[in-house]
Amino acid sequence: MIVMPENKNQNLKDVSDVVISTRIRFARNLQEYPFPCKLSDEKKCRVANIVKEAVLDGHSAISSKFKYIQMSELTQEEAVSLVERHLVSPEFISERLGRGLLLLDDESVSIMINEEDHVRIQVIKPYMDLDGAYDLADKIDTLLDEQLNFAFNDKLGYLTQCPTNIGTGMRASLMLHLPALKESNSMGRISASLSKLGLVIRGLYGEGTEPIGAIYQLSNQVTLGISEHEAINNLRDIASQLITQERSAREMLTKNITVEDTVCRSFGILQFAKLMSNDECMQLLSNLRFGIEMGIIKNIDFDTVNHLMTEIQPATLMKNIGKKLTPQERDRIRAELVRTALLQKKVPSSHRLEN
Amino acid sequence: MLCQSCEKRQATTHIKTILNGELKEYNLCPECAQKMGYGSFFGNFGFDLDKLFGSFMESIDSPKTAKRCQCCGSSFEDIAKSGKVGCANCYEVFYEELLPSIQRIHGRTCHTGKLAHSAGTEVKIRNEITKCKYDLEQAVKAQEFEKAAELRDRIAELEKDYKKSTDNGKE
Repeated sequence: MIVMPENKNQNLKDVSDVVISTRIRFARNLQEYPFPCKLSDEKKCRVANIVKEAVLDGHSAISSKFKYIQMSELTQEEAVSLVERHLVSPEFISERLGRGLLLLDDESVSIMINEEDHVRIQVIKPYMDLDGAYDLADKIDTLLDEQLNFAFNDKLGYLTQCPTNIGTGMRASLMLHLPALKESNSMGRISASLSKLGLVIRGLYGEGTEPIGAIYQLSNQVTLGISEHEAINNLRDIASQLITQERSAREMLTKNITVEDTVCRSFGILQFAKLMSNDECMQLLSNLRFGIEMGIIKNIDFDTVNHLMTEIQPATLMKNIGKKLTPQERDRIRAELVRTALLQKKVPSSHRLEN
Repeated sequence: MLCQSCEKRQATTHIKTILNGELKEYNLCPECAQKMGYGSFFGNFGFDLDKLFGSFMESIDSPKTAKRCQCCGSSFEDIAKSGKVGCANCYEVFYEELLPSIQRIHGRTCHTGKLAHSAGTEVKIRNEITKCKYDLEQAVKAQEFEKAAELRDRIAELEKDYKKSTDNGKE
């Protein structure tokens, strides 16, 4: 079948009932310096400066849109908020000395310096956009390679501190909402069969984290002996199978009154509660999202829910308020935030699912 | 499958490790995996492939433990213990030692993806050929025959260049 180019952009949102966002990450290192595990803090700072200058003083149009953040200068809330917004890895903020972050103004590109590797280029796009995210990451990588001379070996490809990343150094991930598959206890079986296909499925915040609110990250595991395009196509194929499975699992639940009840109760609590913990809120938002996916809730869009899921995270909440808050104060503000966002959305608007 | 440790929750993490030359396999739930050090949220790089990789390599008796990388000073033992390679040069120095583990992790040992600026001409041409062949396949699928013909010519040209560059290499 021929896919017409003009349909391509429309197709991006076609799977928005399952795919929340797309992420591409490249791991790169400078040829002249030992990997970060062998660098003193002083040398790390030197590497950070070299990368920073390569990006900010570059002659491309994108250079002026980056800002540099020295990680050691951030407050704890600001640092954790970066993790909550998926801009950096949890590992990156655990030890912040000698580490820097280059962030594009719209936060779609982040370049971590001295994480596990000297340079980690990450591109995040909303919904399913593997090609778009890859193209952007690829362009930035090519620009930087000319200036930084990345460590590369003809046989092993890009060289990385951990041998699990050598070759392309690329990790492509899709963030998926799979409530129906989770509900039917299929995730264990699925994750076991995925590992045989060179893919891995994990919790919301990546490696080692638990799935919160039925949100999972699906990514490629193998990086050597497989080209970037093959890896991405492979990921896309498996993702579309998962999407089909999730949709048919949802189909089974459509006539289920308890599902409808859970969704509506969740919506009620979200609209009226005065105190809400993070875990509770995430679970309720996941249920609400499920309601939209099932066509039970009609006047709220995915953007609103996706946005809320980040905004209600504890550190992001405090960062936006601009001060430290006690857990109870946070629960109060979180509830208020959700209430306002959902009350404003009460009037039914034109809706994707009704099409 | 239930977690082998708590026997309550669903196992989602499969761990294979070689301890004292004995292969052991565990199926764990995220909680137990975390408790046993195979993943911590703000700890050292989550699901600890490093450690896993380290324990894989410890099973290999290296007769060349005295050899060190002249760039960063790592011995193969250092790398095996930490699961972290010291620098780009280590991959050259310990290529033979690292290869079995790389094969185990990736199933393959030869890079086929994007090439860096610094890659050799031969590889660059080989890579370009692979890319053109892929594009050709796509063009045929999309029934864009004009584009396909162009690509076919380009591949023939590249293959000539490749032969030339490998012949030069031999001289």
